[in-house]
Amino acid sequence: MSAKRTIDVGPVALLEAIQHQGKEWDVIAPRYGVTNPNPPWKSSLTGTCECLSVGGTLPALERRKAEDVLADSIYREVPAPERDLLALAHILLRRGLVTESDLAERMHTVRSRLQAG
Amino acid sequence: MSAADKHGHEREHAHGHGHKHGGDGHTHKAAPMVEEITDYEVLEIAVRELAIEHGLFTAEDHRKFTEWAEAVGPAAGSRLVAKAWTDPAFKARLLKDGTEACKEVGIDWAEPTGFGTPSDYTNFRVLEDTPTLHHVIVCTLCSCYPRPLLGMSPEWYRSTNYRRRLVRWPREVLAEFGLILPPEVEIRIEDSNQKCRFMVMPVRPQGTDNWSEEKLAAIVTRDCMIGVALPRPGRTTDIHPVHKARRPVQSAAQHARAAE
Repeated sequence: MSAKRTIDVGPVALLEAIQHQGKEWDVIAPRYGVTNPNPPWKSSLTGTCECLSVGGTLPALERRKAEDVLADSIYREVPAPERDLLALAHILLRRGLVTESDLAERMHTVRSRLQAG
Repeated sequence: MSAADKHGHEREHAHGHGHKHGGDGHTHKAAPMVEEITDYEVLEIAVRELAIEHGLFTAEDHRKFTEWAEAVGPAAGSRLVAKAWTDPAFKARLLKDGTEACKEVGIDWAEPTGFGTPSDYTNFRVLEDTPTLHHVIVCTLCSCYPRPLLGMSPEWYRSTNYRRRLVRWPREVLAEFGLILPPEVEIRIEDSNQKCRFMVMPVRPQGTDNWSEEKLAAIVTRDCMIGVALPRPGRTTDIHPVHKARRPVQSAAQHARAAE
C-alpha cells in the first residue's frame, strides 16, 4: 500500500520561514479578540485534502501517516491546524507535485491580491 | 460583524459598521476580526490554486467537499442515539444495519460524492453499551472517524497520545477525560479503519424518563459517542478538565531529543 511510502523530513526553507513567524491562529486570534476556535481557512484545507484523496493523488491514509512523521519531527512545535497545512504543502513539494519556487511565487501573487485595494 | 469565505478571505460583512439600517433600525456592533493576512492563510490558498491548475482536482470539487466539511457535525449522531433510546424498533434496525438506519435521520454515508469520501464510505456499526460493558472508539492507525454522524474529529482524537495509549491503558486514559468507570465495567476498545467505522450508543441515563427525543439528543454529546464521557441530565457540552497524563507515551524522536 502506498501508505508505507516514507516522507523526507528535511526542512523546506519556504515552510520553515512560515512556521517561525508566530502567526498561528491560537496566537493571533486572542490578540484581536476573536473567539472562533479555528482559522477561516481550515475547512478549505479539509476540502483540499479530501479532493486530493478522492482523485487518488494523495490518499487520506498516506497523508495521515506522513503528517504523523512530520508532526513528530520538523513541525513538532506547530499547533494544528497550521501543522496539517505545513505537512500537506511539505508532502506535495516532496512528491514533486508542486515546486518550491512555484509555491513561493504563487504565495506572493495571492498576498498581493488579498492586500489589493 | 466579520466573516470569512470558504477560501479563507477575511472580508467585511454588510453589517460590519455598527450603523443603523433596515426597516427596524437595529444596530450591530462590529464583531472583532483578525486584521492581518498571515502566511498560513496565503499558503492554504496558494496550495489549493496550484493543485487546481495542475489538474489534481477542480474548483467545483473543492467547493463541494468544503461545504460538506462545514456542514457535518455531531448533531446527527445525537439524534440517532436519542431516536434509538425512544424507539426500540429503530434501535433494532440501527444495530442490524447502521448505514441504512442512518438514512432515517437524514444521513447518507454516500454523500457528498455518491460513493462517499474515500475514508468515509464504510461498514458502519453502532456499539451498544450496557451497564457492564463500555465501548470507546479510536483509530490507532490514523484518524478514521464516523464523520457523517459526528463531524470532524477533535484534535485530541487524532493525537498519537490518545491513539497509542487508549488501547494500552484504557481506564487511565478515560480517567484523564474525567470518566472513571468501576472495575466491574468491562471496557472494549474498537479500532476503526478504512473499511469500518464505529459509534458508541451509551446507556440512557436515569432521570430522563418521558424526555423528548430533542431533549435527549442534547445530552448525547460528541464525547459520549466516542466513549470518553457518559450522558447525564444537565451535561450538554464536552468541556471537560484536562488531566495530566499518568503514563505519557514518548516517540522514538522524543526519546532521542531527551537523550541529547
